[in-house]
Amino acid sequence: MKIWTSEHVFNHPWETVTKAAMQKYPNPMNTSVFGVDVLDRNVDQRGRLHSKRLLSTEWGLPSIVRSIIGNARTCTYIQEHSVVDPKEKTFELQSTNITFTNMVSVDERLIYRPHPEDPEKTMLTQEAIISVKGVSLSSYLEGLMASSISSNAGKGREAMEWVIRRLNTEIEELAITARGTLRTPMAAAAVTEK
Amino acid sequence: MNSVGEGCTELKREYDQCFNRWFAEKFLKGDRSADPCSELFLKYHTCVQKAIKEKDIPIEGVEFMGPNREKADS
Repeated sequence: MKIWTSEHVFNHPWETVTKAAMQKYPNPMNTSVFGVDVLDRNVDQRGRLHSKRLLSTEWGLPSIVRSIIGNARTCTYIQEHSVVDPKEKTFELQSTNITFTNMVSVDERLIYRPHPEDPEKTMLTQEAIISVKGVSLSSYLEGLMASSISSNAGKGREAMEWVIRRLNTEIEELAITARGTLRTPMAAAAVTEK
Repeated sequence: MNSVGEGCTELKREYDQCFNRWFAEKFLKGDRSADPCSELFLKYHTCVQKAIKEKDIPIEGVEFMGPNREKADS
């Protein structure tokens, strides 16, 4: 069993990061995720939003792993449960693979919360627990998967920045359009004031 | 982004657009009003459930209109 953990700071407030994380896919960095579906969603008694999602992925297993467990080009399905608490400002996600479970188990947990020292920043704490079953090289393979997860996590963070930029561009474009339509009446009002 | 059910992608897009707007403009700002996307979700959800059955995907313990739902189901 291998445990991988990481902490990362985004220079954006928690609301921005949470909005982006909710719309993370598709993005040019995580190309192995080719489908995302919401299975269920509800708000609980404490006002927290629960979402259950299904992620369809072409999990990029290292070729050595594929040669041991079989070269079948199939997709892997991941089930994710997430909770957004808008009062506490936490967005927590947990996911696990639901296929290939007899061979490998990858459980991931991510928590986004405001940085304790700077409310304009967001802290992401991430961990993955990896278990390869019934294979004698399991700890070596687990190590390979951990570095794959680590590299994907780096891509995931880049992906978040990409989504945040895209959302900000959309907001700016809306603002420019809004200013354009306001400009004429505002100019007329300014002339009247003089 | 596509849906696991190829025929569900358009329904998914409509639902996602509705949800993302409510999520950013209401939910995250502390507005407790329910999301207006239930009908869209129902259509999308029916489509996805069919695709999941067809592809034999082993979803664990998901129940639409499960015991945690706060809203009254109509």
